[in-house]
Formats: sequence, C-alpha cells, structure tokens
Amino acid sequence: MASTAAEKGKAPADTEETAPAIAARLAAEWTTWAMKNAKVVAHYGFIPLVILVGMNSEPKPRLAQLLSPI
Amino acid sequence: MGSAASAAAPPPPPPAQPQMAAPSYGLGLAGILPSKPEGDDKKEVEKVDYLNLPCPVPFEEIQREALMSLKPELFEGLRFDFTKGLNQKFSLSHSVFMGSLEVPSQSSETIKVPTAHYEFGANFLDPKLILVGRVMTDGRLNARVKCDLTDDLTLKINAQLTHEPHYSQGMFNFDYKGTDYRAQFQIGNNAFYGANYMQSVTPNLSMGTEIFWLGHQRKSGIGFASRYNTDKMVGTLQVASTGIVALSYVQKVSEKVSLASDFMYNHMSKDVTSSFGYDYMLRQCRLRGKIDSNGVVAAYLEERLNMGVNFLLSAELDHSKKNYKFGFGMTIGE
Repeated sequence: MASTAAEKGKAPADTEETAPAIAARLAAEWTTWAMKNAKVVAHYGFIPLVILVGMNSEPKPRLAQLLSPI
Repeated sequence: MGSAASAAAPPPPPPAQPQMAAPSYGLGLAGILPSKPEGDDKKEVEKVDYLNLPCPVPFEEIQREALMSLKPELFEGLRFDFTKGLNQKFSLSHSVFMGSLEVPSQSSETIKVPTAHYEFGANFLDPKLILVGRVMTDGRLNARVKCDLTDDLTLKINAQLTHEPHYSQGMFNFDYKGTDYRAQFQIGNNAFYGANYMQSVTPNLSMGTEIFWLGHQRKSGIGFASRYNTDKMVGTLQVASTGIVALSYVQKVSEKVSLASDFMYNHMSKDVTSSFGYDYMLRQCRLRGKIDSNGVVAAYLEERLNMGVNFLLSAELDHSKKNYKFGFGMTIGE
C-alpha cells in the first residue's frame, strides 16, 4: 500500500512540465503546423495568385484571352 | 536546383572613351597654355579610381558566360513550348515533352526513364516583381519569385513542391547590392543556411567567398571564387572545401563567335573533367557545340524560322557508355 501510494505520488511529478518547456513544445508544434499548411497553400495557390496578379495588371487582359489558345 | 537563371547576354562593353577634341584656342593662347594630351589614352594606363569600382556580378553567376556556352539544355525526345502573351508583363505557357529522362545512377550504367508530361506555366514579369510558376500534370509545382524590397535589397524564392511528402525543396535568398560589393544570405529546407559575398577589387577583377551549413547532416563548407573579365575574355576560378576546384575561360573572338573552356577537379572522387566548346550567335540561329574529356560530344541548335518560331535540335554522343541522345523541338512565342 505504501509503495503504491509512493508510486502515485511520484508519477504526477514526472508528467508535470515546467512553463517554459510547455511554451517551447507548443511553439514547435504550431510552427510545424504552420509550415505544413503554408506548403499546401503555396502548392495550390501560387499559380492562381500569378494569374490574379497578371489579370489585374495594366492593360487588363480579357477573360476570353486567358482561356483561348490564340 | 531550380531552373536556370534568366540567361542574360554577357555584359555590354563599357562605352568607348570619347576622343579628346583639339583645343580650339587662338594661336596666341596655344603658345602660352600647356598643351593637352591629344587622342585617347589607350597606350597610357588610365588612373583607376578605386573608390568608384563597378558592382560585381552575383556570386552564383560568375561562371555565367561559360555555363551559357558549355551547358545548353540538352534533351532527348520531343519538346514543344508555346508561350502566349496576354499583355506586356503577363504570359501563359504550355509545354509538352515526350522522351527519355536520365536518372542519375551509382553504377556506370545510365538509366533512362521514358516520360511524357504537359506543363502549364504562368509568368508575371515586372521590373520590381517577377512571379514564375510551372505546374505539371502529376502535381509538381516549380515556383520562382523575385521581389525588389528596396532599391538595394532583393528577395528571391525558389521552390519545387510535390505531393509526395519530404520531397519538396525551397530556398529563400536575400540579396544586398552595395556600390562595389554584393552580399547574399540563403535559407533553405533541411535547415540549409548559406551566405556569400562578392567584392570588386579592380575594375576587371572581383573576388568573393561563400560559406554554407547543412543542419540535418551537420555539414559545413567554405569556398572562394574570383573572376577576371575584360571586354574580350572572362576567366574564373572557384575553390571549395568540398574538394572542388573549377576554372573556366571564355574568349569572345568576335561579335558572333565565342569559345569557352572549363576544367573541374573533384578531390573526393578524384574526378577530373575538362571541356571545350564554341558558341556561334548568328542572325538566324544559335549553334553551340562542345567536346569533353570523357569523350562526350554535344551540340545544340536553335534556328529561327520566323518571328517567334524557333526550331531546336539537340544531340549528345557518348561512345564509351553507348549513350546517344537526340532531340528535336519547337518553341513558339518569346
């Protein structure tokens, strides 16, 4: 009984993290999440971005010119 | 990695020294005033203003002339490129390729993979902002961004993104251009950090250095480079701690012809390669040919059939490895 109580007393102390460690872990997780999503956004959105910037430059080309082969 | 940098022509020669006109004084004054030296001072050495040197070529472009002449984009198969301009700055491109691509292999056998792909591209070219994107049918995206943040600071982004995980690559470059120096800082994926610096030492000579650090493999390296160029010739030397020594020499024989030679020594693999090539830039065509110390002979012809229509022929013969590559293609549009 005493040994199990001692084990229970020890276990929460090991799983507790100090505040800076929690902050570092969260920062690493969020930057990884941000980089993964930035890569997906860049992959799908780069060509549409170039087309958007191009269609809004002067003189504005027409949509028909974008889609037709001549 | 990444597509070749915009293939600019070699820098134009500096404007010719204007002939000094004869002093138009009366005969009486000419006797009193000291006579000015007549004619141009080509025989005398001009006084070099060391505080006013020209800006050097960027570090990654010191071998630009040699690479343009000796390393054309040889291909095997059919290539068709169509570029449609919608306005001065914006254009779309459609590109078809059907042929074999070589896969680098460890053994001496070359592995060729027959491929066919269609690539759609969009380009926006502005003096301050360049956006170039190319996407293939299998989802691979090749993106290049060049943005002038201020007059002297430029941001360049070069990325190849794929759907397969861990195969994407990206590189951010910050370039700073000073009066007679250039500095660049690079950040890439796999924790790659690099920096290089190039300084003009005399009007013809520029020297530079680079360092890089690969985080994931804990490798670092340092290198030195120097470039000497005049109107007629360019000579470069590059030494790196990865054990590579590279020299190149390009001589502009006339407006239309230039000859180039290149020497590379790899200390780690004890590999020595030397090549010699020519570049004929004629009115209707551009012909480049080269021969290698490995016995490889290559040629690349771009023939201008009409305004905006170019016909391409590419050939590479390697008798020792029995690897023969012939390609033909057409490029419509700029």
